[in-house]
Amino acid sequence: MIQPKFPILHVWWDELRELVKDEGILIFVILLPLGYPILYAMIYDTEVQRELPICVVDDCMSGRSRDFIRRVDATQEVNVAAHCISMEEAQELMRRRQVFGILRIPREFDLQLWRGEQTVVGLYSDLTSMLYYKVEYLAVINVAQELNRNIKVREHQQNTTAREEDLARWPIRFEEVKMYNPAGGFAAFLIPPVLMLILQQALCLGVGMSMGRARERFRGLVIPPSPHYKNTLAVVLGKGLVHFLLFLLMAFYMAICVTRWFSLPQLGHFVDLLGFFVPYLLACTYMAIFWSSFIFRREDCILLFVFMSVPLLFLMGVSWPGASIPPLWKAVGTVFPSTWGANAYVRIQCMGASLGDCRQELMMLWVLAGVYFLLSCFMYMFEIRKSVGRSILN
Amino acid sequence: MLAVLKSIWLITRRELAAFSHRPIFLITMFVAPLGFLWLFTSLMQAGLPTKLPAALVDEDDTHITRQLTRILGTMEETHFVMQTKNFTEARQAMQRGEIYAIFRIPKGTTEAALTQRQPVISFYTNDSYYIAASLLMKDMRKMGEMAGLAMTRATMRARGFRDDQIMGTLQPIVIESHPLGNSYLNYSVVLSNLIVPGLLMLVAMLTTSYSLGNEWKRGRQKYLYALGRGNVGAIIIGKLLPQTALYTLIFWLIDLVFYSYLQFPCQCGIPRMMLWGFLAVLASQGFGLLMFEAFPGQMRMAMSACSLLGVMQFSLAGFSFPVSAMDVPFQWLSNIFPLHHYFLIYVNQCLNGYSISYAWANVAALVGISLLPHLFSFRLKDALLHKEYRA
Repeated sequence: MIQPKFPILHVWWDELRELVKDEGILIFVILLPLGYPILYAMIYDTEVQRELPICVVDDCMSGRSRDFIRRVDATQEVNVAAHCISMEEAQELMRRRQVFGILRIPREFDLQLWRGEQTVVGLYSDLTSMLYYKVEYLAVINVAQELNRNIKVREHQQNTTAREEDLARWPIRFEEVKMYNPAGGFAAFLIPPVLMLILQQALCLGVGMSMGRARERFRGLVIPPSPHYKNTLAVVLGKGLVHFLLFLLMAFYMAICVTRWFSLPQLGHFVDLLGFFVPYLLACTYMAIFWSSFIFRREDCILLFVFMSVPLLFLMGVSWPGASIPPLWKAVGTVFPSTWGANAYVRIQCMGASLGDCRQELMMLWVLAGVYFLLSCFMYMFEIRKSVGRSILN
Repeated sequence: MLAVLKSIWLITRRELAAFSHRPIFLITMFVAPLGFLWLFTSLMQAGLPTKLPAALVDEDDTHITRQLTRILGTMEETHFVMQTKNFTEARQAMQRGEIYAIFRIPKGTTEAALTQRQPVISFYTNDSYYIAASLLMKDMRKMGEMAGLAMTRATMRARGFRDDQIMGTLQPIVIESHPLGNSYLNYSVVLSNLIVPGLLMLVAMLTTSYSLGNEWKRGRQKYLYALGRGNVGAIIIGKLLPQTALYTLIFWLIDLVFYSYLQFPCQCGIPRMMLWGFLAVLASQGFGLLMFEAFPGQMRMAMSACSLLGVMQFSLAGFSFPVSAMDVPFQWLSNIFPLHHYFLIYVNQCLNGYSISYAWANVAALVGISLLPHLFSFRLKDALLHKEYRA
């Protein structure tokens, strides 16, 4: 049996051995960070909603209305799945969830256009998902704007040259640039912050389970009655190092392998990523160690940490814009490394920012790492005293 | 019959005593769900995020471009927190996360517009922040479109056209959009309405396998079996009844807060939503029980399965990213999750006010998930008699 010389290595070796032997901990520190990112990336891999079925109620039945419908059908966003003769029929299809939107062309559509008047086309969207509304509206508004330009230049403003026609069509041109996520995809936006959250939550679960197990084995204490566990610093560093190193590997697996396999944005340089992962994982590790000291049974950590994932995702300010989060919840979010970590990771990996651009986040991560490290030291100091007291009593 | 009722009562009483001794039950079953209710309803109280920070790069800086930017500044979603003439500066601010979008008017825009040389204005959104980017893009597109139309309108007015003639030329086809059921596009209606009940359902799943597994952990499973006189049904009912009652009451409280206090749209009436809430609680407990039967007596494995699947149900329910857009295997998989069925019932009943006959399959699925564990109760019986806790 290997017996390391220094207490810190002894603690490190013990923790590693316990971790490898315990299948419950292995699920959370190996299986979860390896498998969950792949699963999540696969769920959102399609990135966007395409060919959403909608139906059309064409009360006009003219060549022009049919042209409008054909153009809508040709967009990648929606698919005209049914032509209905009345709104009642269309509503029935919507109730049966066969279509998710109704496009209604009024009877006077063609007539009004010939008269040079405005005509109103109705779009009724099912709000099962906000995305349905977005894609339907985009598809229909793009077609309407294109037709409007055609009507303007061909019927109202007779032009003599192609250039003049182009000018009438576009007096000012505008270009839209979707930066860092050109397809406007869901995976490219959601997966990077989720990866950071998985790291933090997996660490909390793994450390929590190991701490709960220790308390069960050593009758309420978190350290074994061993002479190597007398130095607070050695215990805190030794235990933290195991999880830190393991999760550093996992972090690079996520940032390199998962990101590459699923073609997620990957603008971050290795050095920048390393400069970010070190404080992030240190903060997560020591936060996990500190909070886990309140775990007395190994399964309790699942109960306490799992359902925090969803609220933490919202407190990050990535899925719900950070600028719209009320100050109270912003303050609550600051104590979790994931809030700073997800933003810094998104900036480095998805937006090509340098470490200097993420100065505030990195500073906060170092501060959190320091605070949680000190809290963990106090906690272990208290536990070591308790353990010494008990051994004297025994 | 009386003996069975007595067993149920004895087990329920014992369960209530266990709750009162352990603060973790109080935290997870009571404090956490109510905390989430507070968190999500206050987090998204704005409904739709407004006044999102953006930067304006006006390289032209003429009275016309200033007028353009003033109009953009009055729009609902856009709030210019930065005005500069240097695009790189704005891009760096975006990388620092200070702004979500850049509106750029290049040098010579006014001159090109006046001499009909088709100037190009551009807007950049940071789509790593999806919701903010989508909302800002909408405003900027509208502005870009309107700038062009305003120029044509000025020309047409100079030629002596009436305003109604001008509108018929500029925008002959108008799209009138009707987002059904949530006309203000309130994100809180979409998200809080499902995340808060979803978290309660996740807690129900976890505590089901936790409280059952605790018997093995404490080595009291045989005593429990004796207390239930060997009737597994009575044991399950006795163990889970207090949780069912508590979660149902919390679910009803959530319904009252949403539909009565916050006035979220509810087409079917609150009592009916309470009924679906009760069914969702039963289905979640059924799911937790099923996981426990899959790993009989192994509390940790059952809880791990519950947590891994339970967190995944938020993605596979389909309220953020629609299930119809996912790959087919995930569309199938979504059907095993109670939250997915509750979501579809909620859309059918609460948001759209349709007849429940259109969502009967989802109701049947929730009932099915609640009852399915009874088919495998023999595994629980076997575990009660023969399985020991494995650390």
